[in-house]
Amino acid sequence: MRLLEPVDLGSKRAPNRLLFGPHETNLGIGRALSARHVAYYERRAAGGCGTVVTETASVHPGDWPYERAPLAAECFAGWSAVADAVHAHGGLALAALGHCGGQGSSAYSQRVLWAPSRVADPVTREVPQEMEEREIAAVTEGFATAAALAAASGLDGVEVNAASFSLLRHFLSGLTNTRIDAYGVDRLRFAREVLEATRAALGEGPVLGLRLGCDELAPWAGITPESGEQIALALGPLADYVVAVRAPAYDQFGARPDGHTPPGFALPLAGALRRALPAPVAVVAQGSIVEVTMAEQALTDGTADLVEMTRAQIADPELGAKLARGAGEEIRPCVLCNQRCLVRDPRNPLVSCIGEPSSGFEWQGEGAAIDEQAGAAAEGEVLVVGAGPAGLEAARVAALTGWRVRVVDRRPRAGGVLRAAAAGAGRHRLELLADWLEAECRRLGVAIELSTSVDPGDLSSRAASGGHVLVCTGSVPGPLPDADGSVELRTALEVLELAQSGRLGELAPGPVVVDDPVGDAVGISVAELLAAAGRPVTLITGDAVAGTQLSRTGDLAPANTRLARAGVRIVKRSLVVDVGGGVVRLQDRYTGKEAPVAAAVLVRAAPALPDDALWDSAPAGARRAGDAVAPRTVYEAVLEGRRAALAIGGRDSLADP
Amino acid sequence: MSATGRYRLLFTPLALGPVVVRNRIVFSAHLTNYAQDGAPSEQHTAYYEARAAGGAGLIVTEEHSTHPTDWPYEKMIHGFDPAVIPGYRRITDAVHRHGTPIFAQINHNGGQGSSMYSRLPLWAPSPVADPLFREVPKAVDAAEIDEIVDGYARVAGHCVEGGFDGIELQCSHSSIVRGFLSPATNRRTDDYGGSLENRSRLLLRLVAAVRRTVGGDVALGVRLCGDELIEGGTTLEDALWVARALEATGAVDYLNTSIGVATATLYMIEASMQVPPAYALWIASALRKAVSLPVIGVGRFKDPLQADRALRDGHADLIGVVRGQIADPDFAAKARAGHASWIRACLSCNQECVGRMGLNRWLGCIENPRAGREAIALAAPPSARRRVVVVGAGAGGMQAAIAAARRGHQVDLYEAQDQPGGQVRVAASVPSRAELGDLVRNQLAEASRLGVRFHFGQRADADLVVAAGADAVVVATGALPERPWWAGTAARVLDVREVLEARASPAGRVLVVDELGFHQATSVAELLADRGCALEVVTPAMVVGQDLGVTLDQETWWMKAAARGISETTDTIVTGLVEREDGALSVELQQHTTGLASERVVDWVVCASPPRPDDGLWRELRDRLAPGIALERVGDCVAPRRAHAAVIEGDRVGASL
Repeated sequence: MRLLEPVDLGSKRAPNRLLFGPHETNLGIGRALSARHVAYYERRAAGGCGTVVTETASVHPGDWPYERAPLAAECFAGWSAVADAVHAHGGLALAALGHCGGQGSSAYSQRVLWAPSRVADPVTREVPQEMEEREIAAVTEGFATAAALAAASGLDGVEVNAASFSLLRHFLSGLTNTRIDAYGVDRLRFAREVLEATRAALGEGPVLGLRLGCDELAPWAGITPESGEQIALALGPLADYVVAVRAPAYDQFGARPDGHTPPGFALPLAGALRRALPAPVAVVAQGSIVEVTMAEQALTDGTADLVEMTRAQIADPELGAKLARGAGEEIRPCVLCNQRCLVRDPRNPLVSCIGEPSSGFEWQGEGAAIDEQAGAAAEGEVLVVGAGPAGLEAARVAALTGWRVRVVDRRPRAGGVLRAAAAGAGRHRLELLADWLEAECRRLGVAIELSTSVDPGDLSSRAASGGHVLVCTGSVPGPLPDADGSVELRTALEVLELAQSGRLGELAPGPVVVDDPVGDAVGISVAELLAAAGRPVTLITGDAVAGTQLSRTGDLAPANTRLARAGVRIVKRSLVVDVGGGVVRLQDRYTGKEAPVAAAVLVRAAPALPDDALWDSAPAGARRAGDAVAPRTVYEAVLEGRRAALAIGGRDSLADP
Repeated sequence: MSATGRYRLLFTPLALGPVVVRNRIVFSAHLTNYAQDGAPSEQHTAYYEARAAGGAGLIVTEEHSTHPTDWPYEKMIHGFDPAVIPGYRRITDAVHRHGTPIFAQINHNGGQGSSMYSRLPLWAPSPVADPLFREVPKAVDAAEIDEIVDGYARVAGHCVEGGFDGIELQCSHSSIVRGFLSPATNRRTDDYGGSLENRSRLLLRLVAAVRRTVGGDVALGVRLCGDELIEGGTTLEDALWVARALEATGAVDYLNTSIGVATATLYMIEASMQVPPAYALWIASALRKAVSLPVIGVGRFKDPLQADRALRDGHADLIGVVRGQIADPDFAAKARAGHASWIRACLSCNQECVGRMGLNRWLGCIENPRAGREAIALAAPPSARRRVVVVGAGAGGMQAAIAAARRGHQVDLYEAQDQPGGQVRVAASVPSRAELGDLVRNQLAEASRLGVRFHFGQRADADLVVAAGADAVVVATGALPERPWWAGTAARVLDVREVLEARASPAGRVLVVDELGFHQATSVAELLADRGCALEVVTPAMVVGQDLGVTLDQETWWMKAAARGISETTDTIVTGLVEREDGALSVELQQHTTGLASERVVDWVVCASPPRPDDGLWRELRDRLAPGIALERVGDCVAPRRAHAAVIEGDRVGASL
């Protein structure tokens, strides 16, 4: 396939057309790339990625956008180690270089932000300093110095960021550059000077890439696809490749949105650049490209020369290798949830993946943990109760590590709550993870027995005959409020299950109140579903904003926009205190004032409780994982399912919850 | 009167079991985010030592985790890891050099945490999700309760080995012990749930186990919550019962107090200036009446006389002064020496202390640039005394003058107005923000003591500065209001500053436009509502005053707004304004999420908009000052930001001359 064919980037040749793009990981130590980074990138190179681009390093110490943001001057050793690790697997390794300008933060540097003009970032509201020529020269020199350092470290080149969080883009855009000097009259001037200085510092051998925001989704003054193409025409020939990015000015993470935005949304930008730019300049397509078929199509139809599949390779570090051995169907899907891989968050979470929780934890050996046990001789059988994400992952890993495995579930389908969650608006790709887990289990010979119940006696006899028991029975709904029957009471899960089977119409006709004390994707997606089904919907949140927990996935502002457009009424800072008489009574958390909302249905999106009915009578030595321990997210379910499987027979002492 | 004679009890010794404190001023436990990789840092040592050197009677460190399942924020001290002991020893040695006892607070936060860092299930009495973290915890079983007890004992042992004089158990606002004590989070039906006796069983086991470990030479204290301020939570009556039970053990040497739940009502725990001083003293007072153990009172004590008064009135035996000693480490020493007016009084603004904690950043202070930086050595004194001219006596200029004068330079400070303070003084003119004005008072007092020569009412133009013949010039001329584009020349469109400076007096219907997201819009709205105006605040952001949440001012704003009938409109921009013939203003609004347009007819519009730097003098001087004369600028004339940015810039520049 085209994806696996080599491609030239300047004077270097990448072994294939798959690129792992720069992204925040929080794997750094201080502002240096760390051994954690090296292990993370090496796993992708070993897994068949042709070109690895490391986490964007700031080229000037005044740019310190997040606590663990790499600083080029401190990256030499880390870059060297990444270069060696990637080269050992035949890949190319490049350093991303950047400066966040007014989209940075003064919290760590305790210094003023620099920007072309004093236009406050719409999210942080921080007013930057308008750069004087002295500061412009310092940043330009910073790029050159960093590029020279990267080349000297043994890397194959650098990629200059002019897309999201980028001072270069701020200079290119009429939204953020209102200067009247030479850098405003010619808004390309700064980027051109940076690219020329970078090229001069690199010399002719190393690769120079340009990550370019070609559409800011703000056509009144921002970069548009048309002006983006003109910018690319002017700047592209200064580089060996150009990555075509949609970088919305008013949505920080809009370049890597979650599943509410269809995959491949930036392909037209890449196609336009491919048509416009001279052939020696390679064009890289990106933008939620998570399916190999889409990537291959983009290469064969002339949209691009390479494809960036970053999140796809966080979800499956062996994507390229699996393709190369003809096992494409074994690739673990990226579900575009952004729950664990988007880590530009002040809490500094480490990059990871709900389906592949060892991503980001390669440095502590987790990436190889399953492989290390794969050859072990396991004599015996494992019974897994529950075929949700915890149970299926436990079964998959137990099978991979040599056990005979049987999974039983009382429901007619495997996949547990993943199936229902996938019915939520914009969340349909979650189903792919359930499909993959089930298919992998079957491929590995796991016996999956559905519509089958087990009782404590089954577990005891199993244990008595030397078998191992894993309890992954998931959760039961939390309590619903008392009511007089005038308002139909439902859990969010029930509504999702109705939607999944096309039975939303079974809900009592009339207005719906969604009570969402959590603020994650569940309550929001249920409100969206019901609004789309034509119901008048009121969403109750105790917070000042609906969906507060979505800030982690980048969907907070987009979700609120969708809710507003769908006509969902949001009552903030409120709690449900009473239900009855066709009315849900709300109370303002801070004033105590009460107000009624007419409702035919009240949907409660509250946390569930562990289903521990079976656990309470489980035999000694049984283990449990996932929601049966405490109802949380898919990430914990998969992580604990895997740990439980690896711990069977005392083979691994890792955290038995 | 003798220095200590002003205070009857504040500077008298007191025995806390085996430990005698020399005065009643406690630097009680608070988070700092100074830990590195789970261990205490050099910054911890320097931070606590500065307060010991400054005369604090007792220091209680931030909490140390007693178990790997407790890792709620990244920079927590992992007390359960023996690797912490050398760091403990560094801290205690440094503090003991000044004759100050130091206790360690040990804790398990239970369900008030996150599995983000530990990747282990949270432990709690019952599977009740915390209101802030919203993660369902695992209900601990009997073996796990034993493990918790063992963990506390082990960590207490580490603390004793590390040289601490006492142990404090955090059982008040964020703790698994609180979780067990509170009916809101304890739904157990075993020996640890139900009756108060059962709910306190864990606490009493911990006290016994810790006392057994540490022996009789180490003090043991318990911090209790007197009122959780939540539905179904712990009440004062419960707290008194628990206090008596603790006293009855004979193992406890003192009680500390607290109010609220950190993850539900934090705005009442680390209250800003919106909450009256000593607001939580009633809890200490009630406990002190119930038991004969020494009791620590806390909550907005920022003045030594106020603290002494609380002691004299019998409300408490010791007083926790945290923020007061962050702002001025020499709080106690200055009071004892009879120089209370020299104390850099805390503003209770919460901007850089509390406000940075939730954002995973190191603890600092708006007016003490050394806070959080104590471990960084000060630069060597300059070789020559230089003559420095500072222009502008706002927060930045004053701090530059202070820093330069502290370095021995001769400083002349010019200010066009007849008094110092700039925008801080204006902001503090709103009654509920008056304490911010202490910044002006503190800076003026310090600058005066250091011999800065003030020239108030004298506008320094370039001629004056050039003629002054200084060796160095610092321009701190601030910023000027800038009218939004849509305001045109309408006379009834004002900036917040114009209202607060009483240059106009809006009446009737007023629309406040919040583009800054901090106190500007909300405090002017409060002020005008109190004058009888009808108020609406509109903002393009998702929340009015979006950053008030960081300083814990949002809840009080909501209560005040509700009481005054101030309405809030979010996600909305101003698209135009027309002056009507009747003198009223027609304001066109657009909800940017939906594009929906609307109109408001009001009498006045007040804008909280980014001002523009007043940098004319700096530009002129850049061309006119002789080479060799240092020219610097600080604060809003670089880029308009908040007071802290001006203070740290002023400090940095002043110290660098």
